[in-house]
Amino acid sequence: MKKRLYLELENCIGCRSCLAACTQCGGHEERNRNYVYDVNPLVNRQTMPLMCLHCVNPACARSCPAQAIQIHETGAVLSALVEKCIGCQNCTIACPYGIPKFDTEQNLMYKCDLCIDRTKDGIPPMCASVCPTNTLQWLTDEEIENKKQHNLDNGKWVTSMPYLEGETNVKISLPGILQGVTKLF
Amino acid sequence: MQRDKFFKEIDNLTHPNERLIKTHCSYCGMQCGMNLRVNTITNKIIGVEPRYDWPVTVGKMCPKGVTAYQQTNHKDRLLKPLIRDDASLKGTKEGFREASWEEAYDLIAAKFKELQEQYGKDSLSVFSGVSMTNEKCYLTGKFARVALGTRYIDYNGRFCMSSAAGGFLRSFGVDRGSTLPWTDIHETDCLFIAGSNTAECHPTSMFRVWAVQERGGYLIVADPRETPIARRADIHLDLKPGTDLALANGILNLLIQNGYADEEFVRQHTNGFEETKELVKEFTPEYTSELTGVAIEKIVRAAEIYGKAPNAIVMFARGVEQQHKGVDNVSAYVNLALVTGKIGRTKAGVATFTGQGNGQGGREHGQKADLLPGYRKITNPKHVQEVCDVWGITPEEMPGPGVSAYEMFELMEKKTIRGLYLLCSNPAVSAPNLNFVRQAMKNLDFMVCADFYLSESAEFADVVLPSVTWSEDEGTVTNLEGRIIKINQAQEPIGESKPDWKIQVELAERLGRGKYFSHLHTAKDVADEFRLATKGGYADYYGATWDKIDKQDGVFWPCKDEKDAGTPHMFLDKKFYHEDGRAKICALPYRPPAEEPDEQYPLRLTTGRVVYHYLSGNQTRRIPFLKDMCPEPFVEVHPETALKYDINHEENVRLFTRRGEGIYRVKITEAIRQDTVFVPYHFGHEQSINLLTIAALDPMSRMPEFKACAAQIEKLEQKKVQ
Repeated sequence: MKKRLYLELENCIGCRSCLAACTQCGGHEERNRNYVYDVNPLVNRQTMPLMCLHCVNPACARSCPAQAIQIHETGAVLSALVEKCIGCQNCTIACPYGIPKFDTEQNLMYKCDLCIDRTKDGIPPMCASVCPTNTLQWLTDEEIENKKQHNLDNGKWVTSMPYLEGETNVKISLPGILQGVTKLF
Repeated sequence: MQRDKFFKEIDNLTHPNERLIKTHCSYCGMQCGMNLRVNTITNKIIGVEPRYDWPVTVGKMCPKGVTAYQQTNHKDRLLKPLIRDDASLKGTKEGFREASWEEAYDLIAAKFKELQEQYGKDSLSVFSGVSMTNEKCYLTGKFARVALGTRYIDYNGRFCMSSAAGGFLRSFGVDRGSTLPWTDIHETDCLFIAGSNTAECHPTSMFRVWAVQERGGYLIVADPRETPIARRADIHLDLKPGTDLALANGILNLLIQNGYADEEFVRQHTNGFEETKELVKEFTPEYTSELTGVAIEKIVRAAEIYGKAPNAIVMFARGVEQQHKGVDNVSAYVNLALVTGKIGRTKAGVATFTGQGNGQGGREHGQKADLLPGYRKITNPKHVQEVCDVWGITPEEMPGPGVSAYEMFELMEKKTIRGLYLLCSNPAVSAPNLNFVRQAMKNLDFMVCADFYLSESAEFADVVLPSVTWSEDEGTVTNLEGRIIKINQAQEPIGESKPDWKIQVELAERLGRGKYFSHLHTAKDVADEFRLATKGGYADYYGATWDKIDKQDGVFWPCKDEKDAGTPHMFLDKKFYHEDGRAKICALPYRPPAEEPDEQYPLRLTTGRVVYHYLSGNQTRRIPFLKDMCPEPFVEVHPETALKYDINHEENVRLFTRRGEGIYRVKITEAIRQDTVFVPYHFGHEQSINLLTIAALDPMSRMPEFKACAAQIEKLEQKKVQ
């Protein structure tokens, strides 16, 4: 059954285990490919991961003059093909979230491929496997539907309102996990 | 066993020429399940793969766990014994030369014999730790008493778990850190978590903690800082460091006054209620608020939530335990569960977050100054006889009780203790009042340190022995639930390094005590003797065979024999371990921290951990990812306080107490009380915050008051001219 990465931002504790685990994925050459931000560092300890959202119609791939960014049949937007990437960094500029990273020594872009060597066989990506807080989860569409919290105005999964880019394969609970929860007593 | 809603059947990814070794993390008491990836051609550990089938953590790991494997083949590993001939270089990294095991053993045996002949058996000491297997912890106790014949053995649990142990013993008559398995946590209705920075120190508990709130349950957190767990708490009790006892008494008073006491439970299963009720009357919300600095409404609301909750778990950690009244704090929080009867059933109870990997098992089996295997007392003749029967010595040969960890340094300073065998610990960073402790270590005539890296403490040694990491040996560990689990060997020891148990067997032979040790050829041999030595003690591991541990996903002690499946939940029969079967509700008068702020030192200094480092940092500071994330200590200061001192974010300031000082980078944050500053303790040499901390010891547990002392800040940099 198809599973997706699902983000519950409110759960994040800023441990950056997702980044440590990212380096462990076979195809990642020990470089982490995503981000965790301190939301308001001088005020509180809130943090949030910024992961590639694997857009259905990704700006990074559209902007690539060399067609180096391929989309896997699972929907994962892959890292640039080494033999095609010309190091122009159009993708980083085009991505509304600034996800693709750049290796200046090799003159190559690299980005999250959703651990394609794992997820193509239904094994969760490293980040969602290790996340101690369930900020990152690997869920079926049905499990995501059951989360119920995504009462967005347009009824669609988008990453911000108004949306920056459009439909994404990765889903984010924007209103926050505790909104709408009824207390037990 | 205990597969819950978080458990998913997932196949692991395996690469060609690779095998996975099922084991657990080397670090904290969570003991997260992990698979080590081993290259089948080189037979070396090359990475980590989640262990989805471990029921407690279902594949989850914190950044320390993910990178733990990088310890094994690290460039800093000690590969051969080191000897330093020039004692004037003690306290530095200088002067060591590589030596053979033969030469090192000969030197140690000669020096140990010389000291004991001249100054008596007790001139030697053993300082140990609990980040190692039960088998090693057990053998270390035997080594001290049988091979060295000294009374002076103690361990770093005195800086970690001893207050929890003391509190549980007094309240329940038994010291198992959790009365219930971790798989109950997400099913309770209210978590009352005091003095635990859970999200950073035990991150893989967090998915269960958050799940309580997702179900509509409540989270109450008591902490001077708005830690990542406190940020999302329903009630954050932001108390002054060192005032937990007042807070717990105040909450207990409200529970009793508002009719939440379970009178039936109290009458049938406890002692001490009436006098406790009398004592806590004084702790009105107003008075409690005055002592703790927490708003009255928060105190009242927290008591109401805990009182109303059908099920609740009270949890705590070093924040309440590392105080000179740590034992009282533990008993005071346990009181909440006993008075309301929220214990002795599933989904309700009490737990401490064990700090070290084997903080639970390691304190039960005879590394503590006054304990023998199976939690037996060295002052109890019957207990001594039982252990003597296993060890093959006479009770006359058994040394008496020694002194606690910090007090051993006092005896080193006085030259009562002249020799030290240190293993699995780094007190030159982790002990309080470090100027004194480091001087005491320098003062030794002869010191041996076994470690797998050259720690700050090894810098004081004459001989350093290369031990192995957790991944190069096997044995059992008891996690924070009280679940005995199995650590498996993934790689052969690198270089000439050896497991600690083997070092002790070989050293015992050199000391002429081989007949008590020479039959121990493998870790399994030690395990078999260890299980036998615990038989009949109340921490009975006899039935916890390696086979059973494997089949059952761990075994909860007590586990008395082959048929016994173990005891995941304690006290289900409402029988406590005191002789009359009752628990004790304790009447505990409040006392402030040993050192209160004054004009000269107006701030409260508290210490703790960050998510990227473990204990003294000897391991984690060497791991590139963890070092990148947190390369140096810092001092957390509230913006209002920063304004008072005219200091800025990222500025270096001098922080000092009556005992020591350090230069720290300022981290401005509103997530701390205005009267409090915080510094993490993972750093060595002049960066150690323990140069500043106070060695005020708990009268029962001998735990130092790491969590509260008086401090002052001084601005260093001149203001830039605009």
